[in-house]
Amino acid sequence: MIILAVAQNTFREAVRDKVLYVLLFFSATAILSSKALGWISIGQDIKIVKDISLAAVALFGVLIAIFIGTNLIYKEVDKRTIYTIICQPMRRYEFILGKYLGLAGLLALVTGVMTIVASTYVLALGGTLDATFFMAAFLIYWELLLLTALAVLLSSVTSPILGAIIVFTVFMVGHATSILNELPDHISGAARAVMNGAYYILPNLSNFNIRAEAANGVVVAPSYVAWAIAYGAIYTTVLLVLASLAFEDKDV
Amino acid sequence: MNAITVTDLHKKYRSHLGRKPTYPVKGLSFTVAPNEVFGFLGRNGAGKTTTIKILCSLLRPTSGTASIRGVKAQSRAARRLIGYLPENPYFYEYLTPRETIDFYGRLRGFSRAAREEQWQSISDLLDLRPIAERRVRGFSKGMRQRLGFGVAMVGDPEVMILDEPMSGLDPVGRRQIRELIHLLKERGKTVFFSSHVLGDVEQICDRVGILVDGQLSTEGRVSDLLHRRVDRVEITVGGLKEPNAKSLAESASVEWRRSGAGDCFVVDGLDKANAFAQRILAAGGVLREFVPIKVTLEDVFMEEQEPAA
Ligand SMILES: Nc1ncnc2c1ncn2[C@@H]1O[C@H](COP(=O)(O)OP(=O)(O)O)[C@@H](O)[C@H]1O
Ligand SMILES: [Mg+2]
Repeated sequence: MIILAVAQNTFREAVRDKVLYVLLFFSATAILSSKALGWISIGQDIKIVKDISLAAVALFGVLIAIFIGTNLIYKEVDKRTIYTIICQPMRRYEFILGKYLGLAGLLALVTGVMTIVASTYVLALGGTLDATFFMAAFLIYWELLLLTALAVLLSSVTSPILGAIIVFTVFMVGHATSILNELPDHISGAARAVMNGAYYILPNLSNFNIRAEAANGVVVAPSYVAWAIAYGAIYTTVLLVLASLAFEDKDV
Repeated sequence: MNAITVTDLHKKYRSHLGRKPTYPVKGLSFTVAPNEVFGFLGRNGAGKTTTIKILCSLLRPTSGTASIRGVKAQSRAARRLIGYLPENPYFYEYLTPRETIDFYGRLRGFSRAAREEQWQSISDLLDLRPIAERRVRGFSKGMRQRLGFGVAMVGDPEVMILDEPMSGLDPVGRRQIRELIHLLKERGKTVFFSSHVLGDVEQICDRVGILVDGQLSTEGRVSDLLHRRVDRVEITVGGLKEPNAKSLAESASVEWRRSGAGDCFVVDGLDKANAFAQRILAAGGVLREFVPIKVTLEDVFMEEQEPAA
């Protein structure tokens, strides 16, 4: 119940913030203007609309996860709103989980609304929708949950700017982790060891990327989606446990 | 059982960005009895807020213990017993007072009905109704302090811990806080509060402790602290010749100075002053003024600071 109270309050803070509506406006604009790009490649417009729409969901979701997520705990300490909360008869991890779930709820709303806008648009243009499209949108959300957990962890130990840089780097590198494992021969020694280590530590975010399949209407096996969901759930749980541990003994 | 027990408490702030480590609290011990109003005094930077944050589980002590009604201060059970008003309290700017009180009620695990009841009594007491639906953004210091008091009262806790509840308030606001502290005492609560506004403290505290160099340098009932000091009396006298006045002063070893108004003697203690006045009269002097100078908490406080200054 306490976790829910914190989560609802975090959600309420975000929906009372004008920045959210600016972001939503831009993402809707991106989806609706995707048709313009579709014209360049005649006959491909539905495919392009789907591709760009999903990319927009991912991009704006990541922006929200980074900008709100890396501030989530830090701001409470910085603005001292945390003083009257941590002294309540609750556990500190309940606060961390509540903040996390509040932002997760917000992201569900945002990706949900954007997916509805995108699919309505596809139908209005005479296209068809299949399960892969929605699975792709869902896996984007699942990736956002992982990145949000990372942002919350960083938010409880470092400043939002450093946190944002790290989450963004993980986002970029995480979509291309294979590079780290298939290194050219001239990279050797310590650099090679570090990059190989990074390959195993960083989340492999391309697991969540089935946007090309969705755009082209290729069927994706449900077992693959289930595996990606399990992968994300485990990674996210580890990050949240670390965030709770980092916050447990922290002086505020 | 004591409401608050602090034993040999130490807190070290680690060095940070080139700043040296600081030790604001080192070997602090004191107790606060149930239903007592305890004033925790000390100048800026003495370590009052640090101590309070330890009592409220915001900080972990480096060593030593702090407990609330015998329960370790870092436990959830202890937090259930306390209400905390931070120094310059901050609340979510996007919430209204009503939503704020409700939110803290939820954190304490109250049902909707209990929270509604809670709002009724707290908003009545603190006069929050007129601002109930306004967002905290844009609240004055006095309004924030009132809301902060309301938040501290959620759950009707036994022990109220208030950090500088009167600083930054105008006389009306300070008086409201004094009345609230009185009321809490009447309701059987324990109030522990820090302050450097000594006039206010003198009026409302049962006991005070003065924090100097991270330890309590003086502690006791306000009345004892004031009476332990010998009152001084200023006696102004006319009709004495200068050598006469001088020899009187020297024989009784009292301070003496001559001014336009006559001879002024400063005598320690009321009894001694009375005896001295008799001798003045016998020597042909006329008493113009006989003024006992009261010792205030501020005098006691300043005296304690001397070694540090
Ligand atoms: N987070 C912190 N890190 C380092 N030093 C601190 C920190 N908080 C307070 N201090 C230092 O500890 C001392 C005591 O501060 P504080 O407890 O706030 O005093 P008071 O409330 O009596 O004014 C001050 O010298 C202050 O600068
Ligand atoms: Mg202070």
